[in-house]
Amino acid sequence: MFLIDMDGQRLEAAEGETLLTVARRACIEIPTLCFHAALSPHGACRLCVVEVSGQDRPGSRLVTSCEYPAAPDLVVDTRSEKVLRARRDVADLLVARAPRSSAVRRVALSLGVEKTSFEPDTDRDNCILCGLCTRICARLGHCAITIMGRGSDARVGTPLDGPPPGCVGCGSCANVCPTDNIPVAEAGGKRTIWDRSFDLHRCTMCGRAYITKEQMEYRARASGLDEGYFDLCDECSRRSIASKMLEHVL
Amino acid sequence: MTTTALPLGPDPHPSAGPHADRVLVVTPSRCSGCRTCELACAVAHGRQMMPARSRVRAYSLGEKRNIPIMCLQCDSAACARVCPVEALVRSAATGAIEVIQDRCIRCLACIPACPFGNITIDPSVSRVVKCDLCGGNPICAQFCPTGTLVFDVPRR
Repeated sequence: MFLIDMDGQRLEAAEGETLLTVARRACIEIPTLCFHAALSPHGACRLCVVEVSGQDRPGSRLVTSCEYPAAPDLVVDTRSEKVLRARRDVADLLVARAPRSSAVRRVALSLGVEKTSFEPDTDRDNCILCGLCTRICARLGHCAITIMGRGSDARVGTPLDGPPPGCVGCGSCANVCPTDNIPVAEAGGKRTIWDRSFDLHRCTMCGRAYITKEQMEYRARASGLDEGYFDLCDECSRRSIASKMLEHVL
Repeated sequence: MTTTALPLGPDPHPSAGPHADRVLVVTPSRCSGCRTCELACAVAHGRQMMPARSRVRAYSLGEKRNIPIMCLQCDSAACARVCPVEALVRSAATGAIEVIQDRCIRCLACIPACPFGNITIDPSVSRVVKCDLCGGNPICAQFCPTGTLVFDVPRR
């Protein structure tokens, strides 16, 4: 453990922690769109920039707080004019890229950016290429989607733009997407995502479903649990255990 | 592309708490099925008198056949094993398995995986929730009027 200086406060930090982790523990607000605690930081959205100085280096520099490791004698400013200007510029560009996204607009408004100074890109969807969907998919071991194309043509896509063979329909990509840009539909015992339809794994007693069949099989294999663990929904599991326990104890 | 989880950071509860040797003891023969535990839990965790938000559910399956069902904090917990992002971890202070909300990606695999059905969705906030022993002092046990739920050192 050591101390760092953040916005004039002396804050405790541990080896390997990032500036964002230290800041959030101290309730210092830093906006992010591409950060998720289940994943290693990516530094894609550039909203979390802070100004660091000290450590015997002259001057100051802007760094992404989600990636920058805390170190002894570091002086961090999360609200300097330089930081706020950089974040406003980023927000300006993000609003131009995804003008219909409420999450992007909310972050921009919190930085005082009411409308973009660029031509808003209304022809495309709300993807800001933060990479959360592709990274979570890789973390779960599926790698069903990836960022393809380069420069302004970059986009999240599936192999040959068809239904992704590696996908299990867990919907985690849609859940972590900060701009709600990945459509998921559930109807008639099926979940549809990335143009692929998945059978839901229904409770054998009441028919209720939380996950897809493919997801169940994959998670059972990955965790070493028997597939029988997934037979019942929460309500039916509780009911059946309640009656079993009462049989034994009363 | 690196896809490892962030380091956990320092444990906010480094030493075992004052009640670390205690467990939630359930005596179903005393349960009247009043469901006070559900309300106490809902208020403690959601500040709402809304049993749907409770982490404990009381079942009445006939005359004098009542039982509160809640997380058993299993040694080898299916929920923690099935979670792909280690969002379900055991607290060193209380021994309870807790949901780290920031890390949860709502894949919902833990809900059917729990053999006792004790992982649920809090409908008000759409989050995966479970019993966390209230950080080491379960409110349900404090409010249980019949002594069905008691937070105590287990008798061997």
